[in-house]
Amino acid sequence: MAPNWLETNTFHHSEFADIQKLVEMKERNHHRISLCLPTLNEEKTIAKEILIIRSELMMRFPLVDEIVVVDSGSTDKTEETACAYGAEFYSAANILPKLGHYKGKGENLWKALYVTRGDIIVYLDADIKNIHHRFAYGLLGPLLMNTGIKYCKAFYDRPIAIGQSKMRATGGGRVTELVIRPLFSLFFPELTQIIQPLSGEYAAFRELLEKIPFPIGYGVETSMIMDIYTKWGLDVIGQVDLDRRVHRNQDTKALGRMAFAIMKTFINRKVQLGLIELKEKLYSEMIQYNLVKNEYVPDIYRIEGIERPPMMEIPAYREKFAER
Amino acid sequence: MIMQPYLEKLTDYVDALAAMKEVIIANVVLLGQVPAPTFREQQRSNLFLERLAGFNVDECTADGYQNPIGIIRGSAREKPPIFVVAHMDTLFSEDINHNFAVKRDTISGPGLLDNAVGVGALASLPEIFNRLELKFESDIVLAGVIQSIGKGNLRGIRHLLKTWPTPIRGAVILEGGELGRLSYYSSGMIRAEIKCAGLSASGMEPLFRQNAILVLNEVINQILLLKMPQRPRSRVIFGKITGGHKHGWIAYDATLGFEIQSDSDAMVRQIYEDIKDIVEGIRYERGVELTLNTISNLHAAKLRYGHPLVKSVMEIMKVLELKTVSSPSESELSIFLAHNIPAVTLGISRGKNYHLKGSTMEILPMFKGLAQIIGVIQAIDQGVCDGT
Repeated sequence: MAPNWLETNTFHHSEFADIQKLVEMKERNHHRISLCLPTLNEEKTIAKEILIIRSELMMRFPLVDEIVVVDSGSTDKTEETACAYGAEFYSAANILPKLGHYKGKGENLWKALYVTRGDIIVYLDADIKNIHHRFAYGLLGPLLMNTGIKYCKAFYDRPIAIGQSKMRATGGGRVTELVIRPLFSLFFPELTQIIQPLSGEYAAFRELLEKIPFPIGYGVETSMIMDIYTKWGLDVIGQVDLDRRVHRNQDTKALGRMAFAIMKTFINRKVQLGLIELKEKLYSEMIQYNLVKNEYVPDIYRIEGIERPPMMEIPAYREKFAER
Repeated sequence: MIMQPYLEKLTDYVDALAAMKEVIIANVVLLGQVPAPTFREQQRSNLFLERLAGFNVDECTADGYQNPIGIIRGSAREKPPIFVVAHMDTLFSEDINHNFAVKRDTISGPGLLDNAVGVGALASLPEIFNRLELKFESDIVLAGVIQSIGKGNLRGIRHLLKTWPTPIRGAVILEGGELGRLSYYSSGMIRAEIKCAGLSASGMEPLFRQNAILVLNEVINQILLLKMPQRPRSRVIFGKITGGHKHGWIAYDATLGFEIQSDSDAMVRQIYEDIKDIVEGIRYERGVELTLNTISNLHAAKLRYGHPLVKSVMEIMKVLELKTVSSPSESELSIFLAHNIPAVTLGISRGKNYHLKGSTMEILPMFKGLAQIIGVIQAIDQGVCDGT
């Protein structure tokens, strides 16, 4: 366990509030920065995210070079709204179409690597209700100001009231505390120092992202951390406190399906790394039950655990980014 | 007719403003999402100053009353400053979810039209001037004033004008809506509350004790019998009523909030005295605890219709093809007018649900609303208020 990591690689967004300084560092190192928003029916929140990032980090300070929306097939006005506020919009199905299309956040993040041009990519979930440009500059700060950090993960305050006072909790959401943290504690104790491993906001250098596989669904955050950790070590990872994020609430059943996908990804990755051996194949169906007219009816949700290979292995990608 | 210089580029400004919509909307959203109930505006004020400083405003400070102020220095030191003002406070407390929703054509959220849009527009002016390459002879004072609404009783602007050391050339007050509004006069006004309280009984709930709601009902009935003159135009508005606890319980407290408005201060005072008599009479006859408390008051004041500032605003609106609607404003305007400073209150966009949580503004009309404000500032800078 690296005892100093939490101290040396944990930041607060306010440390990077001098955006002009970040711009100078970016220009000095000739970086190009892409911001990617994976979407599925996000018309309610997408406009605010795009306009605040465009206003604050493109028009006022040229920190971000492009905003790219990669969509899983929204049926609402996500596309129309995103385009009205000046983002580049792509349907994931139309990116590298010969490779087929899967529906899932991981698929969008992976395909974003092909359409974005930056050598640093910031991924933000598109459902942040209290969006502020700190979400982007906070994540970029450690990458631009600290030469060792190549991947930066967000965490947030989740203040809970205890009596008259308020206490700052140190944990993540329910799936983090009930699934990921126990798994990390059992197998990768060093990774428990990552406060919220499932947060949907992170930034990384392309040179890392293009070399790791992407599960197409919920497991993408877990596998990304495990792959970066096993390939490059903990020191390339940083985390930044973004203060507060207002989440969209998910019900327990949805969280259960998320937990299933994450556990499957975790176990598969352990097998691939040769760290454990499975005597039986894992099943691919999450089975939940609903009470319908006094009868329990199974609600079966298929989660295949499909992964996309490292983007670097895709010839079209290598060709497109050959000059780099 | 010769077109005034400040009218020439107004329509071009509309397109230029639309091209920078992200910056303007970001200011509205970022500032509006910080709760600022009256008396607790500090956080929004701090952010407002931070935004102004970020836009390189020459001086950013707070006055002795904590009104946040930015000053854009003009080229002619001898010219008095022009004030552009928006009130910082809103009706909504901190525990209300202040996250705004932005869609392609609209923005929604609590306190949006009253007055996040005004504050956001005010914070955007430095960048707008910069992008449109606008320079002024006068200093432009961008004042976010605190403690404006309700019990705030316009304390922020009262203090600001009382302590401002120089003459003021003219003022524009920004409100979220309604676009086309032209307020250049304020009615005399007393805002007050009648409270019926202390009717609770110990032990068993008595069946026939006084009901606070019915007591206030009697007060309302008697006020409605008062004769309101047509000239000077006068009225009593019942705006707010609260009371009681449970459907099946006799209410032991109730409060009625109302305003007396009139073109004449003397008439406001007369009606107030009449209401005071009604309250005292019912208190005596019913033996209940009934009190009348004044929350705020304003003197009637106006610019004449033919004032060059009023005429200029009308010309500006005509060029922008806006239909002008004249209405009184019991706001910062009355304090400027009371100091003999020519001033108008203007609306920035169109919307609905002004004072509800779902207050919604149309984005597109906002660009004309902002162009109109630039036009008025230019008109004042070119001297329409001088010597009036």
